[in-house]
Amino acid sequence: MWFVRVNMTDLSASIEEAPEAYKILGGRGLTSTLVAQEVPPKSHALGPNNKLVFAPGIVTGTSAPTSARISVGGKSPLTGGIKEANAGTSWAADIAVMGIQALIVEGFPKEKGKYWGISVSMDGSKPKVEFFDATEYAGKPLPQVFPDVYARFGDRISICSIGMAAEHGYGNSGVVFNDQAKRASRYAGRGGLGAVMSSKGLKLIVLKREGAPGVKIVDHALFDQGRKNMIEALRTHAITKPKGGLNTYGTAVLVNIMNEAGGLPTRNFSSGRFEGAPKIAGEAIFETNKQRIGKELYNHACSPGCIIQCSNTFHKPDGTEHTSCLEYESDWALGADCGIDNLDQIAEMNELCNNYGLDTIETGVAIGAAMEAGVIPFGDGAGAIDLVHQMGKGTPLGRILGGGAEMVGRAFGVTRIPTVKGQAMPAYEPRAVKGIGITYATTTMGADHTAGYTIAPEILGVMGKQDPLSPEGKAALSRAFQATTAFIDSSGHCLFIAFAILDIAAGYQGMLDECNGVLGTNWTAQDILDYGGKILKIERAFNEAAGIGKEADRMPEFMKTEPLPPHNQVFDVPDEALDSVFGDL
Amino acid sequence: MAVMTLDVWLYGDLTRYGGDSAGPGYANPKVQLPEGATVAELLTYLGLPTDERGITFINGDLSAMPGLQPDLSHSLKDNDRIAFFHLTSMWPFQYRHGAAMIGEMKEAMFSSDDQGLHHAYDGPNKDERE
Repeated sequence: MWFVRVNMTDLSASIEEAPEAYKILGGRGLTSTLVAQEVPPKSHALGPNNKLVFAPGIVTGTSAPTSARISVGGKSPLTGGIKEANAGTSWAADIAVMGIQALIVEGFPKEKGKYWGISVSMDGSKPKVEFFDATEYAGKPLPQVFPDVYARFGDRISICSIGMAAEHGYGNSGVVFNDQAKRASRYAGRGGLGAVMSSKGLKLIVLKREGAPGVKIVDHALFDQGRKNMIEALRTHAITKPKGGLNTYGTAVLVNIMNEAGGLPTRNFSSGRFEGAPKIAGEAIFETNKQRIGKELYNHACSPGCIIQCSNTFHKPDGTEHTSCLEYESDWALGADCGIDNLDQIAEMNELCNNYGLDTIETGVAIGAAMEAGVIPFGDGAGAIDLVHQMGKGTPLGRILGGGAEMVGRAFGVTRIPTVKGQAMPAYEPRAVKGIGITYATTTMGADHTAGYTIAPEILGVMGKQDPLSPEGKAALSRAFQATTAFIDSSGHCLFIAFAILDIAAGYQGMLDECNGVLGTNWTAQDILDYGGKILKIERAFNEAAGIGKEADRMPEFMKTEPLPPHNQVFDVPDEALDSVFGDL
Repeated sequence: MAVMTLDVWLYGDLTRYGGDSAGPGYANPKVQLPEGATVAELLTYLGLPTDERGITFINGDLSAMPGLQPDLSHSLKDNDRIAFFHLTSMWPFQYRHGAAMIGEMKEAMFSSDDQGLHHAYDGPNKDERE
């Protein structure tokens, strides 16, 4: 296994054997460990001392199902804290089979305005890095970039890049990877890591996997057994099975659910219910596609080896493709949070976010905040599309929006700004669903819906003895959820395996066996919790040293004072309960 | 007997039980029933077999999950909003922990061994857990 270090100061690369001490680390576990060790916490996120770390998961690149995730880590320009964002893409599988455990981008370009690309290929058993001038690819929407890169390097490559949002240095800018149809659509979206990559003068990382040795598996029999159990769990669970919830309606299947629950944040988090929700929901996407292309359209895989296949496409009235993928979070942020109920307008904004390299959640919430400020009215789809263009083009207003929701609040004097640690809140209203609020408040990542996802069934059995609705019970559960999730983010599995592994004990054991098979470890469910807990502690220590301590683990003030219709609840989890999440870790 | 009007929402393939659909993928019939009618009586009126519905809400309070339907004898009131979801819908536990439920649902969840901390309550998943 290799650590590839790319130095953007002198355009050099070093290929080192990965240290033995890091052998069991992958994905988020490895990015967060390296960032914590090598980046001074008080350094500027866009300065010479930050680093950008890429790491595939432990089982990524193997035949383990739904496991082609790549973690991207660094200090976030949006939150000022540690950040890990991950994406499903063939790029993840490719870097893993090339034996690269981590790719670390460091240094700082001497020349401003110039962009470089690197291509990584195999030189015998060792990876090789070559630099090329990529300035010609800058300043363009990504659909004009990816085809040229494929034409230059051939079809059998994977691409990592950044868009114009990152070139502008926005806190709202993601790192993008190709999907299976060569679209620039798979984002490690949150926290502004695109801007970190741009600050290094790095525009493209092209992987050429030809001749790659593949991922070493220590115990093949155990791995195969785990893999079979995981496949079986994913294929039988109602949510993850073929033509199940995610494959049919995509993640936007949650729009109507959250709306009926009174927890769909609407018009900049002023209501939990949006009257236009049914028109933009997963069911509406499915039916609209059916009307427009004349047949039922089930979703596709974002990356090789995925069984769940939740990525959708949305089609224009003439049947041609408009955008992929219109996720729940994107659909909500660009729709309900802006009071927009027109799927064609939402699809256009989603496509523009993909093209400019913007995080859809931060974009929608920033526009919602601008609507609150009166920049354009709520529900103004055409106006919102124009604002996304302004973000891409870098007009003064676009740059304020590109700084994220909190920056919009500061620029326009808006007090209702739904952020934690500077990051916009996703699509689950914490006043209606208080459990998620605890995770939003306390996660090291800033408000993040993917930070607390699941737990081992056997750990759950122990937890269940606490009152899960008491503040202490919720805090304990959030802690266990966050630790388990940190492990899944390290394993390389997509978080959507969570549904199957929580409900099907053999599925959970399958995940353990896959990891134990690859690494030769003997992990149990408790070990997983400990592994995840260690990652959380590392991240937490980095944040504290960066000046982001427990006083930042708080919800915005308005959520404690403004009751949210229709349930008319405030967020009333006491600070002590929030503090206990990490205090008792 | 006094008559009440119910604001009924049907999603996905349940749309067909709601007469004319209101838009792609949903129907919103206004149903008149004698005051105090139950969820079971509403389902009978709609012709919707109870095992075809999954997640259900009454005025934003969760009242049923696939395989867990403690709401059948719940009495409805005038102007109640009742939403029925198809079986391919989902509400992952982490996104509903602490959300509002009707009393019958709270009791059913918290009296179960796992306190309701699962994603699905029926089919192979349930058997697997038992």
